[in-house]
Amino acid sequence: MTAAGGLEKSYRRLLRWYPALYRHRHEEEILGVLMAAAQPGQRRPGARESADLVWSALKIRIRMVTRSAGSEPWAAALALTGVLLPLLILLLKLVLFLDRGAQYGFGSPADILIGAYGEPGSFARSFQLNSYSIALTGNVTDALTAGPVPALILATLVCLGWRRAAAGLAAFVPLAFLAISLTSGYTLLGAPRVDVTLYAYGLEALVLLIAPSAPRGWRALRWRPSALLAAATVAAGIGMNGGLRALLPARPVNPAALRRLFRARMFNIPHGFIDRLFGIGAGGWGDWLLYQGTLAAVVIAALTIMLVSSSVNRRVLSLLGIPFALGAVIYLCSLINPPLPGAAGNALTAIPVLVTLLAAMALVLANSHPVGPDSPSHPAAPQG
Amino acid sequence: MSERPLHEPTFLMLTALAKGPQHGYGIITDAERISGGRVRLRAGTLYAALDRVVAEGLVEADRDEVVDGRLRRYYRLTQRGDDRLAAEVARLQHNAAVAAGRLEVRRRAFGGLA
Repeated sequence: MTAAGGLEKSYRRLLRWYPALYRHRHEEEILGVLMAAAQPGQRRPGARESADLVWSALKIRIRMVTRSAGSEPWAAALALTGVLLPLLILLLKLVLFLDRGAQYGFGSPADILIGAYGEPGSFARSFQLNSYSIALTGNVTDALTAGPVPALILATLVCLGWRRAAAGLAAFVPLAFLAISLTSGYTLLGAPRVDVTLYAYGLEALVLLIAPSAPRGWRALRWRPSALLAAATVAAGIGMNGGLRALLPARPVNPAALRRLFRARMFNIPHGFIDRLFGIGAGGWGDWLLYQGTLAAVVIAALTIMLVSSSVNRRVLSLLGIPFALGAVIYLCSLINPPLPGAAGNALTAIPVLVTLLAAMALVLANSHPVGPDSPSHPAAPQG
Repeated sequence: MSERPLHEPTFLMLTALAKGPQHGYGIITDAERISGGRVRLRAGTLYAALDRVVAEGLVEADRDEVVDGRLRRYYRLTQRGDDRLAAEVARLQHNAAVAAGRLEVRRRAFGGLA
């Protein structure tokens, strides 16, 4: 093979990093430029030239994704999801807070901060019962993920249209949680509620950065009130229903035990906030059908509304479902018997968050300059 | 709202195209000439930048030619690209004039002290 033939083949291999659609339109053209710029007798692409091609290909890939995200109806769906997701997180946290508070009593402001329910003073007592550092790190991670305060701040920032600050907070919460948890020897697998929260924050950071030209803040909601209503109903339904936790079995999974457990739970599902609110005591199937069954029906109706109402709402629903789907996968992994090693479980839990945040970072880098390349130039090589 | 300044490679690319339609390698060599041999764009960087300015409507494809069995696609500046480059030139001229004026005053002051 001639030097030029080998060089062309190497360049073609590098050009495979570009998206197929882009390559179809520009491959021959770029190859012409690369071959024209090659030194006489050059056999292989230089390392910097290869890195430049690969980096540019990645930027083109990211831009193609963001451009398709900028087209209707994805743009509308992303704008709407960016506002709905923090409201959904907030609603879930608030409903959980009210539900648990109604059942066990509301604690001190510090307890509320860390999402602790039950006897007042859990926050302060945890310092006496545990070593200081464990209590502190535990309280910080709880405040980040279990308490309603970060969700409230995030929802406020998003509704005000402060997109960058909101994206920063949405990225900070899961990163801080993971940093503290993984350096403190926590086992993450098997905490699906925490996982869902982490994934929801990560997704929110990504969604806020992926559609920078979308309408900002609460104004995005004006256009799709049905989606807002549906999402809020789903969230309220799930939250009031005790987060469906009562239906989840204890591990390890045994089909017969699961059936028994399910049957027992169906007759004795803990009553949520509405039950307490209206002073309704525990009951059998009748109460279940009246309250839990009604809520389940509302959830199904809301999901159906979103599925059939518009293509935008269908996309919103699929986006909102991502953190829950990831949480469900992680939960199923936690049921594996014998359990996965702690490190593997931690990695499994952390990887979706980290991948999402890396994607968000890549978006920031790809769009960091409105006009102009990111790694633009280098001093000219001596000609000769 | 004023637009953000152009990065130098983009400025050089638009300046190269201000002369008339050029193909990719032509832009690289012209940009090198304009910068006095200081900047030589790489192919990947050039096409990432072209992708962006084409998407922003500053540049558009002009025609395709085949030379020695290789495809050459020519690009040209659009009216929007012309306006953008003109705005950038005005910005640079203003900054340069202010800088030159201040340097003049400073040199006079130092000359007076000396």
